[in-house]
Amino acid sequence: MIPIIEQGLLLSLAAMGVYISFRLIDLPDLTPDGSYVLGGAVAVVLLHSGHGWVFSTVIAVLAAGAAGAVVAFITTRFKINSLLASIMVMTGLYSLSIRVMNAPNLPVPKFDTGKIMNYEQIVGKTPLDDLLGDVPASFEASGLKAVKIPFTNLGDGHDLLIISAIVLASIVILSLFLKTEFGTMLRGYGRNRFAVKVLGVNPDLFAYVGLIMGNVFAGFSGALFSMYSGFADVNMGIGTVVVCLAAVILGEIVFGSRQPIYGAIFPIVGALLYQFLLTFAMKYGYRIGFKPSDMKLLTALFVVAVIAARRFKKSEVTV
Amino acid sequence: MKRFITAVVLAICVVSFSAVRVGITQIVDHPALNAVFDGIVKAIEDAGFKVGQDVVIDRQNAQGSMQNAVAIAKKFASEKVDFVVAIATPSAQACVQAITDRPVIFSAVTDPVGAGLIKQLGKNTSNVVGVSDMVPVATQLKLIRKVFPNAKKIGVIYNPGEANSVTLTNIAKSAAPSLEMTIVDIPGTSPSEMITALNSIGPDVDVLYIGTDNTAASSIESIGSAALRLKKPIVAADIDIARGGGVIGFGFNYFQVGVETGQLLVALLKGAKTSDLESHVVGPDSLTLYINLDIANQLGITVPSDLLERANIIVKDGKEVSR
Repeated sequence: MIPIIEQGLLLSLAAMGVYISFRLIDLPDLTPDGSYVLGGAVAVVLLHSGHGWVFSTVIAVLAAGAAGAVVAFITTRFKINSLLASIMVMTGLYSLSIRVMNAPNLPVPKFDTGKIMNYEQIVGKTPLDDLLGDVPASFEASGLKAVKIPFTNLGDGHDLLIISAIVLASIVILSLFLKTEFGTMLRGYGRNRFAVKVLGVNPDLFAYVGLIMGNVFAGFSGALFSMYSGFADVNMGIGTVVVCLAAVILGEIVFGSRQPIYGAIFPIVGALLYQFLLTFAMKYGYRIGFKPSDMKLLTALFVVAVIAARRFKKSEVTV
Repeated sequence: MKRFITAVVLAICVVSFSAVRVGITQIVDHPALNAVFDGIVKAIEDAGFKVGQDVVIDRQNAQGSMQNAVAIAKKFASEKVDFVVAIATPSAQACVQAITDRPVIFSAVTDPVGAGLIKQLGKNTSNVVGVSDMVPVATQLKLIRKVFPNAKKIGVIYNPGEANSVTLTNIAKSAAPSLEMTIVDIPGTSPSEMITALNSIGPDVDVLYIGTDNTAASSIESIGSAALRLKKPIVAADIDIARGGGVIGFGFNYFQVGVETGQLLVALLKGAKTSDLESHVVGPDSLTLYINLDIANQLGITVPSDLLERANIIVKDGKEVSR
């Protein structure tokens, strides 16, 4: 039970980011698939070089925000559709994350490890040695240093407390921000691009702020997830946007009305619900004949079905 | 009737309580990883345990998602699973992080030390033990030198997004200079990228080498035919990859990796502690030499007769003969 809530809350941070881009400013952004990974990669690399987890997370979040700024730049400067621009940035971030980690996968080791060796150094022989002769095969890779993280992984509620505090603080800050004059204009930008122009503010500013905020949350989620799960992997961001979208829509179903003041809560409730549904499906789905590979199709069908159902009800465009 | 049902339910409960529960998690549905699972089951059954009766297996699959891998690890941690087996690097990392009070056995992880799973190969004091699928890269390069004495440029086909493949490629790069070879990257993050890279870089290399790369494994048929068009021989570190279009394969099959993993599990089932057992790479006895004479003839390659004598599997005139 506790782990499901923990993972749901971690997911909800990324879902908040998706909520901002898809709903608040209405600039669909697929970058979170990449900025989630970048956040994790930067955080783990900084942890390895001896920095504290708070500093590492802050820098990771800034890096992810920079990815959002690049999307905003491409969208506003070259007038490219935000979906298209974000696909480009997301694709580029795959390479960048591998560059940052200098590997596709980087652990958060709990202890100092010894030297990394190759097969011949470990085993000492192979069946073909007499035929091939032995040229000494040199391979030297240094070990890893233990890294300190805030999570204990004991399931005693300690991790849940930290994650809850972080998520709660995020909702409060986001809600307060959306209540300010600037936040109101940001929401207005999502509803009507021209209304903001009439107020005499450059609408591109809101594209920047919204997309940066969206990716900041995605990177935040990725950085915390990497520390929580013990590793960063370049493939860990695949499907982030779809899953978060499912979470946002679930949250909207629960609350029904689209009161923007409660907007920051939608993704959290939705992400928790999503995580419970996923756990339920993984536990009982196999017994009624689902295959593991069917889950992605189910998620996609679920999102489409919910959107379709709401269309029928209100005949209002939601996504 | 009601009593009968109650009795059956009770009986099932008793059976499932007395049985040992083993949670097995793998990162994705993949032939090599499924073969590991089959090997584990084989080893359990060979030791005299009945699967489903003495040992209840809870098999989970993360569908390629790291979040699911973590959710599965946490599920095992909170449920009454007695032993956990994690197949492939991300699943193993998630389990090692989440589970500290029960044995965790990793499998098919090329570099368990670099992945932060264990302190060193051999005995460790932690709750983690397992089998690495590290292959003898330097020996494979020496094998290439024996069959192709003039080969200088070796093209390594791999996915830079796979931790296992990057480890093997780095080992190859460090071993190559002492064999007077240079390693040329032929990277691709998807099967189609791989074919494109092969077609553009392939003509410049002498021999192609494929490690235990999952992406290459899943598209080996098309890689094999592309290499044949380029008239470049493929040497593979995995027998199943070699079967898909290689001239020479020197490695083991993943079923064997599973069997050795299962043997660790059996030792634990019989009461051993993880600190008594050694984390190890698949033993040299499991290394198999595969030679495809049909493709060798097509490319005009003469395989040295002393090597041919030692081959475990030879393909000739479309027929595979094992020795």
